[in-house]
Amino acid sequence: MEVTENVLEIRNLVKDFPGVRAVNNVSFDIKRNTVHCLVGENGAGKSTLIKILTGAYNRTSGTTLLNGEAYNPHNPREAREKGISTLFQELNVVDQLTVEENLTLGMEDTTFGFLRKTDKINKMISVMNSIEPSVRPWQRVSTLSVAQKQIVEIAKAAATESNIIIMDEPTAAISEREIERLFTIIQRLREQNVTVIYISHRLDEIFEIGDYVTVMRDGKHIDTKPLSEVKDRAELIKMMIGKTVFEQYTPKEETAQEVVLQVRNLSNHKLKDISFDVRAGEIVGFYGLVGAGKTEIARAIYGADRYEGEILFNGKKLQPAPDKAIAAGIALVPEERRSQGLFTILTIRSNVPVMNLEKISRHGFINSAAERNITAEYIDKLRIVTDSAEKEASKLSGGNQQKVVLAKCLFADADLLMLDEPTRGVDVGAKSEIYSIIRQLSYEGKSIMIFSSELPEIMNLCDTIYLLFDGSLKATIPNGDDVDSEQIIHIVTGGE
Amino acid sequence: MNPTVLSENVNVKHVQETSLPLRQNWPTVVKRTVKEYYIYFVLAFVVVVFSVAKLDEVALFERGHFLSPDNIINLLRSAVPILTLSGAFTLLMISGYIDLSIGSAMSLSAVVFALMVLSGFGFLFALIVTLIVGIGMGILNGYLVMKLRITPVIATLVTLSLYKGIALLIVPDGLSAIKGNAEHPMPAWINNYARQDVLLGLPLAFYVAVLAIVALIMVQKKTILGKYAAAIGGNPTAAALSGINAVLIVWLLYIIVGFFAALAGVARASFMSLGDPLSGDGMELAVIIAVLLGGTAFSGGEGSVAKSVVGAMIIISVTVGMLTVIPAYWQTFAMGSVLLIAAALNHYLQEELKT
Repeated sequence: MEVTENVLEIRNLVKDFPGVRAVNNVSFDIKRNTVHCLVGENGAGKSTLIKILTGAYNRTSGTTLLNGEAYNPHNPREAREKGISTLFQELNVVDQLTVEENLTLGMEDTTFGFLRKTDKINKMISVMNSIEPSVRPWQRVSTLSVAQKQIVEIAKAAATESNIIIMDEPTAAISEREIERLFTIIQRLREQNVTVIYISHRLDEIFEIGDYVTVMRDGKHIDTKPLSEVKDRAELIKMMIGKTVFEQYTPKEETAQEVVLQVRNLSNHKLKDISFDVRAGEIVGFYGLVGAGKTEIARAIYGADRYEGEILFNGKKLQPAPDKAIAAGIALVPEERRSQGLFTILTIRSNVPVMNLEKISRHGFINSAAERNITAEYIDKLRIVTDSAEKEASKLSGGNQQKVVLAKCLFADADLLMLDEPTRGVDVGAKSEIYSIIRQLSYEGKSIMIFSSELPEIMNLCDTIYLLFDGSLKATIPNGDDVDSEQIIHIVTGGE
Repeated sequence: MNPTVLSENVNVKHVQETSLPLRQNWPTVVKRTVKEYYIYFVLAFVVVVFSVAKLDEVALFERGHFLSPDNIINLLRSAVPILTLSGAFTLLMISGYIDLSIGSAMSLSAVVFALMVLSGFGFLFALIVTLIVGIGMGILNGYLVMKLRITPVIATLVTLSLYKGIALLIVPDGLSAIKGNAEHPMPAWINNYARQDVLLGLPLAFYVAVLAIVALIMVQKKTILGKYAAAIGGNPTAAALSGINAVLIVWLLYIIVGFFAALAGVARASFMSLGDPLSGDGMELAVIIAVLLGGTAFSGGEGSVAKSVVGAMIIISVTVGMLTVIPAYWQTFAMGSVLLIAAALNHYLQEELKT
């Protein structure tokens, strides 16, 4: 095989989803035997690009050349056979099998169906042990740490003669020491003629391990260059966020409202000693990367996860159970709207009053006239676009679904609304409508907590911004004209 | 890249000699051991309880005692169908799938076998035809679940009903089972397979069941089929990415289960000298309980054929043992209690070990 300089060439790659162009005419090259980093904000199109390369998505148009030949995999298996292995965040090992069984899975040597021990197994084990000597072939994978599981997968990829190993946020769930170890392995792989495509939100890692970096933003390719030519984090951050014009935040008149929610020393498996207050009529925002602990804060307050520490709501200690939280006046609009927030096969009319059916029931019978009235009221108030209250929730657009979920919470008389990624999968028009609804609610005295990985959303809406990194509260910023978005990105990517 | 190049960098021998860091604390080790072996203690406990229960009336090993040879032979003979089925069923459950139609499949097989024998066919021919019917039922179950992607519980509830319906249709009007009458008697040799003593007072059917268990233990531990079943049940995505054809593997497991359901049906028909279309009723529950007692996870991924057999022996011991000890109206309740305790203990240990 002729050895080309570029192991992978991406040309005019486009991927459309209904209403969104997730990857927009992207072209760049990946040089052989390098560590090529891919960075960008959430929603920049990195994941989609990777899913095209691994065969999980079909492209809309464009070409990719692997070793100079056309490459268009239809499934992850085909990608692997052509030499591209992927280390997904969801690790693909079988916990119940041993390390050795995992290494050989799908590549066993057999006689009449009986497993045979061959040289191949020994070779794979020595490849694995050259990377990580502490893993034993007879260990059950369930007894391994996340980092060790990664190593099993890397060893499998290395032993199957992969040209390219894609690593998607490989350091998200492993410790400092294990990260060092992983970096040594990556160096070693590069020496052994493997190209690594490395995706991470932690910019320091990029500088430590990368040879080249490609920056993406809004589905577009911004730049690809050697990391030696990138001056510092600030330059990278600038490329990532660009000249985004934030919608103007309008500060409220300063009225000292009473404190509604007090969180003191909240800790659990994910969170580390988090304390903050929320006032009546205040909109607070929690910003951080995926895995920083945003959802976990919401779940703890709602009583869905265990925690240590104290949460006071209206001066009273909050019992850690969702039904107690609802009764106290707290509502959670979950991130996974379809699976956790809506009864998608029911109509709008059946969804809206569902959290507080007692209000419109007598002796266990639902007053359907009242149900229709309140649904009509909320359709009007929240401007839900539908031809009828009898429409199935699943048939609404993302933005209108989110409004139905909001209506549910409002009907439940919630005083504190926790919105986890409130505009994910919502188109631009509906987004600004949802923002104005949120503002309206805060003027009515409701407290709102927004958990978002979209910085413009946080900067646009919130009175106070909390920055999270790795389960800890890193900074508290009162919103205003002088907020520095580059400083914010610096903090949430692990900078001091 | 060449994998050998990498391995040159390391002294493999040295690596294997380093000791495994022992991070587990003692309570975990104890719990793990208890979890690993408690099923054997449960069986021993059951046996001891029934052995001492009537010692004031009958001496140890005497006729009428739980451990008397007569009783043990009786116990093992009645264990044949559940023993025959539990191994194959364990493999299917390890892969994360289930077959609720096994009781009906067993009934239909018993009816087909009895009908063939009554119609004058020889043992071997009747056996082969019945096994083919069993394989056919497995093929249908596998087709519904793996090709049409119907939820296993629903698909096999449908075939449970279907196979039982066919069994009832085969039996002529006015009769409760396929059996001989004065002018057309059932050949006496139909008994031979499941009743006639071939060794140590036990019939051929028992030894066939033992052989099936040994074979399936081998399949689980030594073959690619056993490994793939665990991989599919443990992490379907990882299995698919490793190039495992889950449709084929699980379909094959359904066929194996169908085959052994037919074999169990033959044993039951031979034991009873007739083909009862209801004879397999409830077998699916008994087998599922046996397999769960043996520690196989309902969600798949792990389990043990050998331990399912121990689970089956507990169920049979409790059933048979109680006949000698407890008034009939207490039996179902006592059975339920024993199972409740065992299942709760199993669940407790599994939950404990997770954290």
